[in-house]
Amino acid sequence: MYLRRFVLGAAIAAPLLAAVSGAAWAQAVSPDEAKTFINQSGQQLVGIVNGPGSMTQKANQLRLLVNQIVAVDQVGDYVLGRYINVATPAQHQQFQALFHQLLSYNITYQIKAYEGVSFTVNNVMPQGGGVVVDTTITTPGHAPADVGWVVQDVNGQMKIIDVIVAGTSLRITTRNDYAAVITDNGGNVSALLSAMQNQITKIASAQ
Amino acid sequence: MRLKNMVNFKLRLKQSLSLAAPGLLLAGMLSGCATPPPKSSVEDYQAYKQLNDPLEPTNRVFYKVNNTLDQYAMKPVAKGYVHITTQPIRNHVSNFVANISEPERLVNFMAEGQSRDAGTSLVRFLLNSTVGIGGIFDPAAALGYPKTDTDFAMTLAIWGVPPGPYLYLPVFGPSGVRDALNYPAEMYATPMYAAPETDALDDFGYAETGLHLINSRAAYLQPIDQIQATALDPYATFRSLYRQSRDSEVQQIYDRNKLTPPDWVQTPKQ
Repeated sequence: MYLRRFVLGAAIAAPLLAAVSGAAWAQAVSPDEAKTFINQSGQQLVGIVNGPGSMTQKANQLRLLVNQIVAVDQVGDYVLGRYINVATPAQHQQFQALFHQLLSYNITYQIKAYEGVSFTVNNVMPQGGGVVVDTTITTPGHAPADVGWVVQDVNGQMKIIDVIVAGTSLRITTRNDYAAVITDNGGNVSALLSAMQNQITKIASAQ
Repeated sequence: MRLKNMVNFKLRLKQSLSLAAPGLLLAGMLSGCATPPPKSSVEDYQAYKQLNDPLEPTNRVFYKVNNTLDQYAMKPVAKGYVHITTQPIRNHVSNFVANISEPERLVNFMAEGQSRDAGTSLVRFLLNSTVGIGGIFDPAAALGYPKTDTDFAMTLAIWGVPPGPYLYLPVFGPSGVRDALNYPAEMYATPMYAAPETDALDDFGYAETGLHLINSRAAYLQPIDQIQATALDPYATFRSLYRQSRDSEVQQIYDRNKLTPPDWVQTPKQ
């Protein structure tokens, strides 16, 4: 049962799998404001996924929205973890570019699966310097999934920095995923960059 | 004759499964262990210890084996099952299977000292088995007794047993040394085990297990495809998700164990 819950939830939040980060500079966020922020962001996201337009148009709209509501750069740095000190400035820059690109492709890959999606905002709980806004996401033909959105103040703006599903943090999951690639290749950040590039090529050719 | 064969088969199955976890662990230890980094590279060594997957090479082999089995057996069957059923039907199947496991949760909650959860489990089993028509429906949840997860490995966790190294078991999938003990424990904690041995009960047990496997796999169809398509290293991703999920479930048991005052207790005004 537990396996079912976490895998289901992880997949439902997977469009933002690569989009989450811990921000030491975060300021306190008002629970009500965070709830409104998630409600508005969710409505926009649902509007795009269920709205008219081609897949390409929807993908472009989603990419813009995600860049507005998610602290993608900070998330990228979190995902790179301790290897941020190993990467050269050029590698770091390349990583961020690939990270943004991969996020876009992952979102595009999943648009079709989420047509008909709806959501409701539930409770708000404080967590660290931010808050977790709990939502229930429903897609046709699937059991509803509870997804928590961690919201923090990043440089004066509210941003999503993590997605929590059945107790699993997607930013930690992504960091572990990427760290495994680097570790398996003798600690070379270039191996991660190659793997990310290969993944982009694979997804692009499948679309 | 058939009954005798079935009893022997069931006994053999139980014995083999009970021995599976330690056997696989031993096999893994003998065949493929990851090479730890030197202690001099502190960060790498700490990361290796934190990963706690010393059998990674063997685990990855089993991961590939499971993927192949899944690709040619479980996944096609699950897709066919989804094609001929609706989500409400699959929910009812899930409820039914969960109800059969409720006594196991009751025993584990008692062993964990979680009296409130044990009471919830008992009410759920009694209510869902009767009003819920053998567990097909879940009226208990609607009456304020929601399903809460636990198992033998979580009981061990509450008792202070550490999770141990990560294991990826053939057929069963992600696990750990502590969690693998669930499989033999589960076999002795179902109502079917307590009931007198009959052919019909054996057939029911196999049908229930088969249905549970297919129903669970059907629930994973899209998510597993998605993770395998988007993760750079799906093995590492599943490992991370599994560990976080298990840690979270144990934490939830601790979190629920907070005493709350009854409604009639008046809290002093500030």
